[in-house]
Amino acid sequence: MSDKVKKMQEIAREILEKGEAKVVIGWEKGTHWYLSPPAFIDKPEEVERLVWDDFCHNNLSKYLKDYVNHEGKVAIFVKGCDSRAFNRLLQDKQIERDKVILIGIPCHGLKDQDKAKELGENADIPKAKKCVECRYPNPLVYDYFIGEEKALDEVAAASEARDFSDVEAIETLSPDEKYEFWNKQYERCLRCYACRNVCPACSCRECIFDQTRVGWIGKANNASENQFFALTRAMHVAGLCIECGECERVCPMNIPIMLLNKKLIKDINLLFGPYDAGVDVDGKLPLGHFDKNDPEEFM
Amino acid sequence: MKTVLKTKLPELFEKLANNYTVFVPAKIEGISRFAPYQNGLELALEENVLMPPKDIFFPQTEKMYKFKAKDQYLEIEDLPPEEGQQVIFGVRSCDLKSIDCLDQVFLTKGFVDAFYQDKRDRSILIGLSCVKPMENCFCSSMGVDPQKGVGADIQAYDLGDKVGFEAITEKGRELLGKIETLLVEEAASVPAVEKFVLTADIEGVPEKLKNMFDHPIWDDICRKCLNCSVCAFVCPTCHCFDIASEVRGEDGTKIRCWDTCMFDEYTRMAGGHQPRPGKKERVRNRFMHKLRYFPERYDMLLCTGCGRCVAKCPVNLDITAVIRKIKEAE
Repeated sequence: MSDKVKKMQEIAREILEKGEAKVVIGWEKGTHWYLSPPAFIDKPEEVERLVWDDFCHNNLSKYLKDYVNHEGKVAIFVKGCDSRAFNRLLQDKQIERDKVILIGIPCHGLKDQDKAKELGENADIPKAKKCVECRYPNPLVYDYFIGEEKALDEVAAASEARDFSDVEAIETLSPDEKYEFWNKQYERCLRCYACRNVCPACSCRECIFDQTRVGWIGKANNASENQFFALTRAMHVAGLCIECGECERVCPMNIPIMLLNKKLIKDINLLFGPYDAGVDVDGKLPLGHFDKNDPEEFM
Repeated sequence: MKTVLKTKLPELFEKLANNYTVFVPAKIEGISRFAPYQNGLELALEENVLMPPKDIFFPQTEKMYKFKAKDQYLEIEDLPPEEGQQVIFGVRSCDLKSIDCLDQVFLTKGFVDAFYQDKRDRSILIGLSCVKPMENCFCSSMGVDPQKGVGADIQAYDLGDKVGFEAITEKGRELLGKIETLLVEEAASVPAVEKFVLTADIEGVPEKLKNMFDHPIWDDICRKCLNCSVCAFVCPTCHCFDIASEVRGEDGTKIRCWDTCMFDEYTRMAGGHQPRPGKKERVRNRFMHKLRYFPERYDMLLCTGCGRCVAKCPVNLDITAVIRKIKEAE
């Protein structure tokens, strides 16, 4: 067992024994060695289930919405992206800071589960796509901290080298080619809503896609409804996406969802200045306020 | 046994495609599923496909009829019937069993679903045996024989570089006759199935669940669930649907679409009441339906051990783990 896992279990045990929180949300080993799904620990004697390894992909801040009316505190482990998700929920007043105990854990970059399955346990498994471009491996907010922060110059270097080449490749296509590309992707969308349900930015009390009586979206699965879903989902998380990449990881149809999210991030950076969601809790949201200097070519 | 080299399968499909729509396991845009055979299609015969054959009989969106409504006047128009026989090649035992489950729902107990029945009657099923279970397969634990499925018209056997055929029904014999010139009669033995990575001990679970509706186990099992519908939409047996209308002016189409007990709308009632308001109620329903209610009504499990939900669940809510927890519960 690594020192980090030992420390994790120690902190969780302490929190539960002292009664500081009723539940600790972390990760545990799943069906296979390359799966580390969320774990909910209620008792000190269960802390040994907790792990920290290359596959702790799930963004645990998503679960905080389930504990809004929970009595007492909830403790969760946060990687960099989980902490940004936490900040986002806090900024939207979806959760209360003093009801959550955050245990920060710097992330070394997680590994690709599909590749792990394919290559086997002893192989050199590449990083998950979502982690390759990560610029915030260190938790930005925490009450406890485990391990050492990733060197800041390394993080800064990653920021410098921000890579939008995948978005640019699509931008150079003609409108017809773009349409064809995205139609092909979303034609196979099952509308299982896993991307929405795993997304920490998707925190509406009632999602537009569930307002079936209003009929924003039809029940049918076809190109037109799927496109409406794809565009609306992307626009609704614009300015809120913290780039944890969970939507794309969980998509059973391998739709490159982050490409849409990244396009919107790129546009926001261009129109309103560089912005990273969930970093500065007190700052204003680029699409959440009006500034006299905002571009308004469309007027 | 009549055999053919795997490399010659496209030729065989080509020949059948003259008279039938031939669904084969294929990889399209990176996703494996059953697709009508056409030249150049990338076959996916090494492993079972991600999307089960369910949608051939029970499409995700099915048009039922058209209507015209104006003032007091209503006119209903049937859609033109679909015609032609279809062959579905390469249905694994788990998926053959799932078609058996769907048959129970859509064809028995005095309820016959005309849309399902029509597609089913026009279909000839060719099963395909498995040699190496995939990492999430546990069909043998659910009473399914990976080497020989139920309800196939022809059972095909994976013989390594060849595929062997055994006609089961008259329809199957007739079909084999049509491709006889491509087949070779030779002695062949079906390879033994390799060891399963995943297993489940289902013995006594349906009975035990009868007294577990209010068991605290559900409070724990449900917590990580996101209430998405990956599990239901990749499941070969999940068959819930919702009927809706697409209306433009006076014209409308009735459609029925896959639905799932994971969704809020599924049980939301006209007055707004929600009898299954949260994760607990919905997750419980999913497993109760698969492991208790369906066995009670039809005397068979509504899980065939295909492992698709285990492979695709975003939070690894593994049904074999749920079965284990039910077994261990006090």
